[in-house]
Amino acid sequence: MAAGLKTVILLSFVLAVGFLLIILSCALWQNWLPLLVAITFVIAPLPNALFSHCGADDFSGSYESNGPVDMGRFLTSLIVVTGFAFPVVLAHSGVITNSACAMSIVGGGLVYGTILAYSQAFKQEDSDFD
Amino acid sequence: MSLPRSNYDPRRVCLNPFPDVHFGKHRRTVGVYLAGALFAIANWTFLDAAVKSAHAKVSWGDEPPVHVTFVDWVPGICSLLGYLVVNLIDKDRIKGDEGFGDSSAVWRARLFLFIGFALMAGGLAGSVTVLVLKYVLSDYAEMFKYYGYANVSQNILLMLSAIVLWMAQSTSGEYEYNLTL
Repeated sequence: MAAGLKTVILLSFVLAVGFLLIILSCALWQNWLPLLVAITFVIAPLPNALFSHCGADDFSGSYESNGPVDMGRFLTSLIVVTGFAFPVVLAHSGVITNSACAMSIVGGGLVYGTILAYSQAFKQEDSDFD
Repeated sequence: MSLPRSNYDPRRVCLNPFPDVHFGKHRRTVGVYLAGALFAIANWTFLDAAVKSAHAKVSWGDEPPVHVTFVDWVPGICSLLGYLVVNLIDKDRIKGDEGFGDSSAVWRARLFLFIGFALMAGGLAGSVTVLVLKYVLSDYAEMFKYYGYANVSQNILLMLSAIVLWMAQSTSGEYEYNLTL
């Protein structure tokens, strides 16, 4: 499956560029606090992945979600916004420089975009196995 | 004899028309994501002020005259407690027309809802109090008033987040968009 292979290679390159930007934003100024952004964005899809299995069984409608699924979405959104807000807060108080803030935000966006795109691109195969 | 309009209910005193925004079937999902984002923005606004206060150095070299202390944290903690209380309540139990439970359960649920909203409103009022008493009435420089404004906007955003989450969750069954209480 050539298209899937190309997608995987492209996404892994984008992921590597994202991590490169985040690590550069730490290493260029010898201030390793922006590395927390990478951890934040890596654990961002975790609540959705965990709580989505608590969701609907076969009898309830697919559009009707319940409490645990909502909780997972709430936590996911909270963690994503945290990942974008954390470098801004650090830059605003002068702990890191503005360019480090921009680099870590762009890198974090690339990492999270890779995760989103990966789960979107290979969602079809998952639903075949269900 | 013609039927009344579907959104006309003679038992209701106030009818709040709401702008008719349609997200289709993803409305609940969008609302929950939006509420989470607002919650995070609210808390990071205040944490920004706290971090900035901890790292503040005035350009003329003195110790800054005011810091974010525990007093500034109290309204946010009140709002967070109220947020938890409001969102832990079963929405169907408030209306009391579902037929489960006795009337005292409905009464207790409404009491807890009142306590939750009172905590959130108290947090908002407390943040305005801190802004006025600690920052506006004193002669601090303009950069220190930011701490007070951040506190107020934290509480306003927390209340907005609670409203968005409530509306996203309470209108799951029917396709109306009214804030019915």
